[in-house]
Amino acid sequence: MTRRFIFLIVVTIAFSSCNSCRNSRQKLSDDFDIPDSLKTDKPVTVSAEAIGEMMENIASPVETAAVIKGLKVPFNKELIANTKYSENLNTSFAKALGLGIYGCDLGYLNMYGKTSLVIDYITTVKSLADGIQVGQFFDFSTLKRLATNNENIDSLVLISQQSMSRIDHYLRQNKRSNLSVVIVAGVWIEGIYISSLVTEETKHKRMIETIGEQKEIIDPLLFSLNVYKKDPNIAKLIKEFESIKVLYNDVKITYEVGETVPVEVNGELTFKQNASQTVDISDETLKKIIAKVKEIRNSILQG
Amino acid sequence: MKNKFLIFTVFLFVLGFSGTAFAQTEDELVEICGMIAKDATYLKDFKIRLDAGDPPPLQRFSVILKKDIKYRFSVCNSKDFEGKVILELFDNNRLVATTYIIATGKDYPYIDFLCTKTGAYHLTFKFKDGKAGLAVGLLSLVETI
Repeated sequence: MTRRFIFLIVVTIAFSSCNSCRNSRQKLSDDFDIPDSLKTDKPVTVSAEAIGEMMENIASPVETAAVIKGLKVPFNKELIANTKYSENLNTSFAKALGLGIYGCDLGYLNMYGKTSLVIDYITTVKSLADGIQVGQFFDFSTLKRLATNNENIDSLVLISQQSMSRIDHYLRQNKRSNLSVVIVAGVWIEGIYISSLVTEETKHKRMIETIGEQKEIIDPLLFSLNVYKKDPNIAKLIKEFESIKVLYNDVKITYEVGETVPVEVNGELTFKQNASQTVDISDETLKKIIAKVKEIRNSILQG
Repeated sequence: MKNKFLIFTVFLFVLGFSGTAFAQTEDELVEICGMIAKDATYLKDFKIRLDAGDPPPLQRFSVILKKDIKYRFSVCNSKDFEGKVILELFDNNRLVATTYIIATGKDYPYIDFLCTKTGAYHLTFKFKDGKAGLAVGLLSLVETI
């Protein structure tokens, strides 16, 4: 009797384990399993084509910060948003926008290895993420440990980026792409805001170009936002961003196409693009863009 | 009889747990891909799951790449599937980088792309010979030029 009982338990465990094998061989296009408790109540319906067209990395805090740091511009705490403004962000829309802004600031801090300031920002980002029910994807405890112990900066950058990426993945897969796009908009406005202040301060040619190049980025960003223009908050944001876009009509970007050359050295393959790009932006237009960016970014933080 | 029962029990345990113990998840693949990318800074991951097909099904993504940045694209395949992923990067329908060079038949676990033009680029992933596969692609930043 005991043997039969043991046999029954063994068979049950073996087959329940094997269930996961079957699952892994399920049709590959199946979605990830998401707990019901995490699902939103009012999804915005968007066609698969529209979601597919969305850019994956319209704005990246790491790239913006890397360009600034690469120019040997010293760290400046005044460039980033004070965390006290996060208290003004009370709706899901405002929290998502704030998540983008403070997420971008976190990227800037991480790139400069300012761990003493990071804790304040990860606390703010976690709180905003919790506010739109995605806090579980933000690895707060690991980030806090890394920052507190002044541990590996690379891990801090990696985990921060991965946390933001997981939030984005989750929102897109759960028909909450509207919030994902708003976060991206937040990252973008903060990125161009930081770049604007650095441009004003340094007048560096590369930074002026960086502001001008946003002409190429604002279009896909507005395209993604326009998918959700029925949302009054997003409609308002579109109007504000369009007031920046209008100013870009006076920015001229010209290209010269060139063949990309693959170069293999020690088994490592590098493709060197030979296209050239020239950004033509007058001082007046630059000033107008910077002023508009400051106005919009600061009004967002007022809630 | 006792021994036979014991062997049968052990066999069932091994059979039962083999599937769960070694099946790779996308997150594990992201970790592995991060190691392949070495010291480049993580920017974005792309999870690729495709069924078998002829012509090979594609998974597409649009990315913004910035001038004067050296990017690294790394790929890694799940060992649970036969498919070997191929990453291709396009600029206005012009192929500008790939992890698989047809002429040599050589696959690269990562490639670098030195970008000289800010703008939208298109990434496509497919599995060699249209086999089913599970893979991860990683976009990272190597350095600013």
